[in-house]
Amino acid sequence: MKRIAVALLLVATACSGSATTGGGPKGEILVFAAASLTESFTAIGSVFERAHPGAHIRFNFGPSDGLAAGITEGGGADVFASASADPMEAVARSPGVLDRALFARNRLVVIVPRDNPAHIGSLSDITRAGLKLAIAAPGVPAGTYTRQMLEKAKLTLHSAPSNEVDDKSVVQKVVLGEVDAGVVYTTDVSPSVSSAVTIIVIPDVVNVLASYPIAVVAGSKNVSLARSFVAYVLDGGRAILRAAGFLSPT
Amino acid sequence: MNREGERAVVAPPRGVLVLAAFGVAFVVLPVAGLAIRAPWSDLGSLSSHGARTALGVSLVVTGGAVALALLFGLPAAIVLARGRFRGRALVRGIVLLPIVLPPVVGGIGLLAALGRRGLLGRPLEAIGIRLPFTTGAAILAAAFVATPLFVLAVEGGLRSIDPRLEQAASAMGASRWYVLRRVTLPLLRPQIIAGVVIAAARALGEFGATITFAGNIAGRTQTLPLSVYQTLQSDPGGAILQALLLVAISLAAMIALRGRLLSP
Repeated sequence: MKRIAVALLLVATACSGSATTGGGPKGEILVFAAASLTESFTAIGSVFERAHPGAHIRFNFGPSDGLAAGITEGGGADVFASASADPMEAVARSPGVLDRALFARNRLVVIVPRDNPAHIGSLSDITRAGLKLAIAAPGVPAGTYTRQMLEKAKLTLHSAPSNEVDDKSVVQKVVLGEVDAGVVYTTDVSPSVSSAVTIIVIPDVVNVLASYPIAVVAGSKNVSLARSFVAYVLDGGRAILRAAGFLSPT
Repeated sequence: MNREGERAVVAPPRGVLVLAAFGVAFVVLPVAGLAIRAPWSDLGSLSSHGARTALGVSLVVTGGAVALALLFGLPAAIVLARGRFRGRALVRGIVLLPIVLPPVVGGIGLLAALGRRGLLGRPLEAIGIRLPFTTGAAILAAAFVATPLFVLAVEGGLRSIDPRLEQAASAMGASRWYVLRRVTLPLLRPQIIAGVVIAAARALGEFGATITFAGNIAGRTQTLPLSVYQTLQSDPGGAILQALLLVAISLAAMIALRGRLLSP
């Protein structure tokens, strides 16, 4: 959290000059965001609120595919930030999106509990039989990327992994020491969990880069605030995203 | 309620006692595990903004769900226990379905009924009401899982009331409303209280239907169980403390109930 807090302060002071004018969109919006964005978007939201008095940002964090289904079936979202293209495609079909743009990329890593009970030293070690593995379920962006990465590395798992609802649940299982290894995003290893796990880097040649699109959801009751938040994520929010370990979108 | 069980009873055989010890341990062990893992020195984190907000949402949602269970569940129980109509077994089965249904399925059903493209969602949207991902949605999700338990408790009570009491009142010229208000409901009081407590405990713990239909929005739909789930990802210790808070509230409710659920 420390890195994010510093970035937050920097951005806050940078914004405070323009914030006093008082204009700009007001009201409340609901942002549906991928679970992997929990820490950084919470930080971006509070900096944005400080820079825009009268504006309130609420978040609904969860697996991107579930959020997309919620938006399509339930509505109510003003902004959607997804961890991959497919859920955004689904929302673009119904109810539709505006101002769609890529705002970050993420990279996969293997994490093991600090005491590394299964002595895992490289990516190929996770294919061993008899391991307890946790990866995100197929269909969840993190799960899809994990499977693409394994295919790219020509690796086959010889122990059936536990399919978790999202990447954050994988982190949780590793932090608690309930599994020998898990595959998550670099950014999931936030300062609050980094002391409990060891990171094993996945070589760039086989790694898969996750691209994060963001957009205003059609039918939003406060399009001006939603647009202004999306613009902020693409601009002022970058420092916070970078501090959390995200890569720039291009 | 009745204290007969505390008088002259034949003690159960020793074998039953041993198995009973396992049965109790089965429930006690996970709770003990939580208590042992809990970072008690961080107890102050329970008063953090996030935890307090979640507790507040939980209380509003539980209160709302219990109100709905009373408003609609009580009449439903009366009709199921006293009504004579075809298909009663079917209606009863449907009303009690949420007890055995996975809550996530309930959440999807609520979206299909009240969502943007849902059965009732479309006309509601036309008059400017959008339910999913609001506190109202969290209340409905909790009511969906809690109401059947209330109905079950009250219906059992109704069946145990001697019908001659109601018949006597009726024969002396009391109207149906009068019989219901002055005879049936007072006799039902213990079961209504039991039903309220068990429905409240269930509503308090609701997770699956809530996250599906109402989302996980801090200050609006993020109840204590959802907060436990989200906190577990970044702060396992804090999550355990919140979980123990839930355990304490539910345990207090169950103790308050004592044997009421069993009494006729």
